[in-house]
Amino acid sequence: MREFLLDALLTAGWVLTAHVALFHLVTLLLVLAGARRVWRNRHWRGAEGHDETFASPLTPAVSILVPAHDEEAGILDTLSAALGQKYPALEVVLVDDGSTDRTFALVAERYALRPVTPRPTADLPVDGEILSVHRASTGDPLLVIRKDSVGRRSDALNAALNHARHPLVCMVDADSLLETEALLQVSRPFVEDPDNVVAAGGVIRAANGALTDRGTMVEPRLSRRWVVRVQVIEYLRSFLLGRTGWADAQALLIISGAFGLFRRDVVLEVGGMDPNSLAEDAELVVTIQEHLRRQRRPHRVVFVPQTVCWTEVPESWQVLGRQRKRWSHGLGQLLWKHRRMIGNPRYGPIGVLALPFFLLFELLGPVIEVVGVAAVATSMVLGLVEPAVAGAVLVLAIALGVLLSATAIAVEELTYHRYGRGRDLLGLMGAAVVEHLWFRWVHSWYRLRGLAAALTRRSPVWTAMPRVGFSGDAAPAAGPVPAGGLVPVAS
Amino acid sequence: MTALPAPVLLASTGVTGLVVLLLLSVGGAHLARRRRERRDAARRAELTPLIYTLLDGEQTAQSLVDAPAVLDDVVLHLLPQLRGHDRQVLRDLLISRGVVDRAAEQISARAPWRRGRAAMLLGATGSTRYTPDLVTLLEDRSPDVRSAAARALGRAGDVDAVPDLLAALTAVRPVPSGIVGMALLDVGTAALPALRAALGSGTAPARALSASLLGLHGDLPATAALTAALDDPGASTDVRRAAAGALGRIGAPQAGDALSRVAVLAVDPALRSAAAEALGRIGDPACVAALAAGMSASDLRVRTTCADALASITPEGRDRLRVLGALDGPAAPAARAALDAVSSEIPRSLTGAH
Repeated sequence: MREFLLDALLTAGWVLTAHVALFHLVTLLLVLAGARRVWRNRHWRGAEGHDETFASPLTPAVSILVPAHDEEAGILDTLSAALGQKYPALEVVLVDDGSTDRTFALVAERYALRPVTPRPTADLPVDGEILSVHRASTGDPLLVIRKDSVGRRSDALNAALNHARHPLVCMVDADSLLETEALLQVSRPFVEDPDNVVAAGGVIRAANGALTDRGTMVEPRLSRRWVVRVQVIEYLRSFLLGRTGWADAQALLIISGAFGLFRRDVVLEVGGMDPNSLAEDAELVVTIQEHLRRQRRPHRVVFVPQTVCWTEVPESWQVLGRQRKRWSHGLGQLLWKHRRMIGNPRYGPIGVLALPFFLLFELLGPVIEVVGVAAVATSMVLGLVEPAVAGAVLVLAIALGVLLSATAIAVEELTYHRYGRGRDLLGLMGAAVVEHLWFRWVHSWYRLRGLAAALTRRSPVWTAMPRVGFSGDAAPAAGPVPAGGLVPVAS
Repeated sequence: MTALPAPVLLASTGVTGLVVLLLLSVGGAHLARRRRERRDAARRAELTPLIYTLLDGEQTAQSLVDAPAVLDDVVLHLLPQLRGHDRQVLRDLLISRGVVDRAAEQISARAPWRRGRAAMLLGATGSTRYTPDLVTLLEDRSPDVRSAAARALGRAGDVDAVPDLLAALTAVRPVPSGIVGMALLDVGTAALPALRAALGSGTAPARALSASLLGLHGDLPATAALTAALDDPGASTDVRRAAAGALGRIGAPQAGDALSRVAVLAVDPALRSAAAEALGRIGDPACVAALAAGMSASDLRVRTTCADALASITPEGRDRLRVLGALDGPAAPAARAALDAVSSEIPRSLTGAH
């Protein structure tokens, strides 16, 4: 028995080492793919200005869908940014999903809403009762749907999809700010290749700490909170390295729910958003690709790295923990639902590359990391592993992680360089190190709990994130703008 | 697990060194970039007035031949915003500075970015001299280069390139239809005869795109061919939908019968909706009966589009909607909603669906 336990401990240690090595090898390949594209685009981006897209009569109209539940802190800024998009034809469909705060009152006052007869153009199932539909009488192309909340973002999005009228739908979180040309940039693939492009996503960045003015990002700045800074690094790594590489491999699995553009007819064809999923954004992308692959219809899911949507990320460990647990739970649901696609060549790169990667590293990664670290610690206590060996492996794992984060910072600086201040760059560099010293381990614990929830088939629970808003305090943005007109997002 | 330390420590040291090097490089790149941006901004501020004096005729292109390279970027940035004489002056400036000759040399370069950039520059000059080279690039192995060549052909406005652009839609290495469409729109009305010909005898993608573009141009002489395409049961749904949309944009009442037939009898809901929308745009009261019949469709989208179309036909269509709204059945909610939507002023963008 003792021998068996000793063997198990040593095996767990080796599995951890192999997992870390394999993860970094795969990520390195993604980084190299991303770096290749960055290098290629250094001289010529392959596309010219966006003015021609704006002026083209071939540019399809877009419905921006904004589900909102208790979003009084930032809803007016989000709507300002959405309605202020430089785009030839758009409408905004806001769904007030059972808010108990002043979300609806603020919007009704700002846009002088008047009730109208509902005019649905699709009949996706919606569980929450539609209470009323309103339209702005200020001349803004804004439609507001009030409905009972059933605690699911997907239900609100399905209600919005039923009332959207344009061929493209852009899903945006109610705590997000779109840059003025974001829609124009992300819609470009649809304009250029309307027969094949079915979905496109852009980069999500953390708005916490930035200087904003009534829904407009004036100057991106790094928050002073480390919990936010490490998330900035995470987002940079995920979007600038990960998704660029996945998109190049035709295996993009996730388009963030905070900002994604889809062909409405295709979304309706697959039945809209899955009402039971906690990761409804990834769920939608995988379902669409599964559906179209089965029907052997050509399709492309595109990532547009120039496009930016600024969003509010959690500022406390408690909220971050809930969010990450939910993501992990949602990923577990998604992989279980689409288990037949995993490793199946019929589904192309998604089946043989992306889904196995997410299963092995994103879903099971925390198990391997937590069990592996515990095994190594136990082995050290039992004298099976010398502390020097364990320490050396730990240092290597941390160094490799920091190298990836540093690469993401390098790509950011060489390409988009949104952070103009030197001190922000230094903060990012510090966060790249800090992240791997402790955030990574805490994060693994959150993800492990999410996986446990998925395995035990617990009922999905959508927990609302407390919002600070883009105006820096809990008060809604309807009030006068502080001195100078520019306000930092609280951080 | 006991034989690792030396190689692992070596690897750790190497990776840590790499991290330090990378972070130092990032810091250096940040400083260098800020310096470069300041310098370029100063140069642009210095050169932009010179371009305006050139456009005003107070200076010749020859006097700017030896100006710094950043001048080309300023000119290329301004070029799409200008028309007529001013545009020609800037094109001449690019030619005299050797930008065009250099681009022409790069058209067969090995690196795709060089070929793509060359195509973009040649398109910006608006010269038809390089049309054959750009047509060749439509079959380039790089999708980005093919797209750049198509855009360049559009900007050059050479009508002889229209068949090649349409053929690129279905080539072994195809160019996406949106890019070809924008290029053909850039060519302008000179492309219309070729588009009419493609509508009659082209491939399905070429027919669909030609139909859409003829509609965007409001090409009245194409009405008969578009109606034939709409009525052709052998044509693909994409072609028929594009033809329906085009007839609506042209506003041809003579297509009312064909559109009414499709709105009521077609199987595909998207095609029925396109026909109903077109009838609404045409606004012919003779089509009210067909649209009212369409409102009994099982597909919600068809009912809504028919209701919207009826609401745009005054007063006959709205009168019919009032009748339908007062009855029971699936048509009633759509009828009431459409009437409500037009009962007061509607925001422009809500009605601007493409």
